[in-house]
Amino acid sequence: MRPLPRFRVHRPESLEKALELLATLEKAKPIAGGTDLIPLMREVEVDVKHLIDLSHIGELNFIREEEGYIRIGATTTLSDLVASELIASKAPALWEAAASMGSPQIRNRGTIGGNLCNASPAADLGPPLLALEAEAEIRSLDERRWIPIGEVFAGPKVNSLAEDELLTEVRFKTPPQGAGSAFEKIGRRRAVTLALVNAAAYIEVEDETCRVARLALGAVADRPLRMGEAEERLMGKELSEELIEEVSALCGRLVRPIDDVRASAWYRREMSRVLSRRALLKAWRRCAT
Amino acid sequence: MEAEEILEELAERGEFIVIGRGVRRFDALDKALGRAKFTADYVERDALVVKVVRSSLPHALIKGINIDEALKIPGVVAVLTAGDIPGENQIGYALPDQPFLNDVKVHYVGDPIALVCAENEEAAFKGVEAVEIDYEELQAVYTIDEALSEDAPRIHGGEDNIAVTTRVRKGDIEEGFSKAEAIVEDTYETPYQEHMYIEPEAAYAIPEGHDKVTVIGTMQSPFLVREKVAGILGWNLNQVRVIQALTGGAFGGKDDMGPLVCAKAALAAVKLGRPAALILDRDESAAYSVKRYPARIRYRSGADAEGRMTAAEVDITVDCGAYANRAPFWLWRMTAHAAGPYEVEAVHVDGRAVYTNKVFGGSFRGFGDVAMHFAVESQMDMLAEKLGLDPLEFRLRNVLRPGSRTTTNQLLDHSVGIEECLRGVAEASDWWNRRGEVKRIEGKLRGLGVACAHHGISTSRGAPDWSAASLILNEDGTFTYRTGICELGQGSQFGHAKIVAEILGAPLESIRVEGPDTDSTPNARPTHGSRGLMLGGSAAADAALRLRGRMVKVASEMLGCDEGDVELKDGRAYDRRRPENSVSFRELAREMYIRGVSPAAYGFYAPPRRYFDPETGLGVAYPVYTFAATVAEVEVNPETGEVKVVEVWPSMDVGRAIDPLLIEGQIHGAIAQGLGFALTENLIVEEGRVLNPNFKDYVIPSSMDMPRVSDVIIVEKPYRHSAFGAKGVGEPAIISIVSAIANAVYHATGIRFRTLPITAERLYRALRGEKP
Repeated sequence: MRPLPRFRVHRPESLEKALELLATLEKAKPIAGGTDLIPLMREVEVDVKHLIDLSHIGELNFIREEEGYIRIGATTTLSDLVASELIASKAPALWEAAASMGSPQIRNRGTIGGNLCNASPAADLGPPLLALEAEAEIRSLDERRWIPIGEVFAGPKVNSLAEDELLTEVRFKTPPQGAGSAFEKIGRRRAVTLALVNAAAYIEVEDETCRVARLALGAVADRPLRMGEAEERLMGKELSEELIEEVSALCGRLVRPIDDVRASAWYRREMSRVLSRRALLKAWRRCAT
Repeated sequence: MEAEEILEELAERGEFIVIGRGVRRFDALDKALGRAKFTADYVERDALVVKVVRSSLPHALIKGINIDEALKIPGVVAVLTAGDIPGENQIGYALPDQPFLNDVKVHYVGDPIALVCAENEEAAFKGVEAVEIDYEELQAVYTIDEALSEDAPRIHGGEDNIAVTTRVRKGDIEEGFSKAEAIVEDTYETPYQEHMYIEPEAAYAIPEGHDKVTVIGTMQSPFLVREKVAGILGWNLNQVRVIQALTGGAFGGKDDMGPLVCAKAALAAVKLGRPAALILDRDESAAYSVKRYPARIRYRSGADAEGRMTAAEVDITVDCGAYANRAPFWLWRMTAHAAGPYEVEAVHVDGRAVYTNKVFGGSFRGFGDVAMHFAVESQMDMLAEKLGLDPLEFRLRNVLRPGSRTTTNQLLDHSVGIEECLRGVAEASDWWNRRGEVKRIEGKLRGLGVACAHHGISTSRGAPDWSAASLILNEDGTFTYRTGICELGQGSQFGHAKIVAEILGAPLESIRVEGPDTDSTPNARPTHGSRGLMLGGSAAADAALRLRGRMVKVASEMLGCDEGDVELKDGRAYDRRRPENSVSFRELAREMYIRGVSPAAYGFYAPPRRYFDPETGLGVAYPVYTFAATVAEVEVNPETGEVKVVEVWPSMDVGRAIDPLLIEGQIHGAIAQGLGFALTENLIVEEGRVLNPNFKDYVIPSSMDMPRVSDVIIVEKPYRHSAFGAKGVGEPAIISIVSAIANAVYHATGIRFRTLPITAERLYRALRGEKP
């Protein structure tokens, strides 16, 4: 491992100040929990002279429901998500994903914004936020834009943000009464584990018919993937275990996993099928009819 | 001898004061509060940072080492190479095959070549990157078969790549197999296991004047460290002072790594006249430190129609990696335990350890017996099945009993409790009712497996073994106890204190343990081989008994009673006939000092001498054996291949339980470590390079993976020649859990794995018809 490079830590207390530092300082990087960045800096050479610590910016730390949206500030920790009644009741997929991550120590530090910006293909918050059709607010000193959550991911460990931009908020439409969502993951132990495959499903059912179905899988491509073709086969249909089984088998074919030290691509395809089915079934069962 | 009589009398009294009770350890609070000091906590800010320049190739000649660029880096103080070693450039343990710093040839990726000494970590890191090594690459050897092939390059010269061989010839093997009703034969392979101790290897060396050095380090054998450091420096033993800091997990690995790391820090400190620290990074520790030796075992065994073992023919090959290190001891241990804890009349064993160009193996809890019992216990299950017998019943018919003879024909006349262990776990797990059919719970398969273990305590064959300790009665009636046995988390030192307290009737809190410092603590020899409590504690008992004799004598005079009527209890000496007549240890101590009766005692212990013939492999291989049996229940998820260990029922014949909490601690820890070895731990080595030297991808179990652990069944069959009859616990704890899990997976799925780990993907594939 490398020694940590020498850097200066800045602790702005407002978003404005943070964006200003990011725009003006050379070789500056934002840091929140540091659970990904610090190990990364010890693994590979990271050209950084300034770290801008976002954890003292109160306006970035919130979970609230507003105007039909559930809004989550970027520095909201995984523990905050797990402690939130709102997330537990309205977005169980997101709750389950957060609860599955790391250890209590990691969840106390790691943040939603950090998990997304780290852009790991295995990011556990990727699939549930894709399934919830979440959006991310991206800000710089002079611009503010919303992008679909999938667009944060640009490749393995590469996000799409410009150097002077910050991910400041994540939002998704409050799921209507009766919607169901679920998250599933397979790792190599029961805690502190990277997903070999993870999956999240979101389903709305009306009059026995599936109105909305969304399914996303992680660790099976260079970024988390929506299973569009599978979703189409579910929408407008009456759900059944057979249909879900069939659609899950399709997911096993849609993914594009690789072989690595953790698992073979073949096993990941098999598990994509298994987890798709589990997530869809669980989400469906959670739909109050 | 009188001392033995007193000990016997103490051992036979119905109720002990502290022995056998679970007592909170005196190091618990500081450890829980983070106040306990480990090696890195001692390092001063201005100490030199030492980093190792390592070979990037698995097998190559060194044509040149250029340190010029490294020396230009600001902050780099020196780069030390083989030429800077004042003593002998050799640090092999069993064989002189291991240069301390390589200047001729490298034998694995990670082999040390030079030491960069710098003012800070950054400069040291850049210095390591700037040292240029000119190699001439040689063909590398990666597998056992490659190593044994005729045209393989000879890694250490000589005629072949075999470092050592072993053999046992007991009984008539042909006759044994001719009596067999069932014969099974198979080949088993076990992989590397990395210790992943929470504290990586570390050493801090401080030069003392011009001709002495103090080394503080994480280790298991302070006196071995002293010997190796002195050898590298070309100094006498008394010029090197070694202090063992509290050690954050060791599991055998630090027995081997202690000397290697301490000698590097010491060389830097002595050459440069400044304190120097070497602390390995996690990836260095995981990639380049010793590992559990991989092994391949071909096993053929048979049993007759009555379900009695008749013969076992075993062929063992240990993969040493680059250096032999402990391989002769490892291989002999496997060889001497080859028949398992069972009585088998005819046993033939052939063993060899071979060199390959990979990270070298070394000590690891269980020391060869994990692999050996994996083979033995798989065979026992298969034989039972072939004979139509329940596997536990089949084991009961064959287990060693008092009067039995082991693999090496060693007669076990007492302290043999494997039958009680096995019956204990059978009852606790409700084996006879539950083993029958495989249960299905929500599509998951439940299986129950059993396995036994035996493990010789301390060092193999006739190697001399002994231990020492010292004890001082201070003027205020408190005691200072010194031992060379290390605290590694296991609590042996606390066990010693309890033995002293029991013998002297002293309150536990009045005894302070001073850990290893080679300048002041007696040489207790290594803390390995599960000997820390048995050997070290017996030396403690000897010291306590010697002091007790003097205390009783002076007390009898103070109390005006016979020595035989003096009772020591609760920090006082009583006249047994008139208990109101007593003196405190403080008063007694003062009286001893005034009268000139020595208040200090040196304790020494050696187990009975043994005879072992290495030619036939017959004789007394170990002074005594600890026995264990385990039942494990697993739940297999056929949808993913995941194995969940649901519950474990452990038992052990510990001789005498000095402290049941210490035993429980060892067993719980060993279950986690064994579970990892059985199911998830998989060091990936490609072309000599370790690809997953980290917690992320070398998967040890988390607390969430721990099964329910049933109350430990403690069987007490005291050993006649140790304090209170205690036997070692640390290693035996891990041996049977691994096989019990594998056998339970077989029971649940009908799939027998002959290689480990049984990862989810492997089991998933096997469930779909691929050959496991």
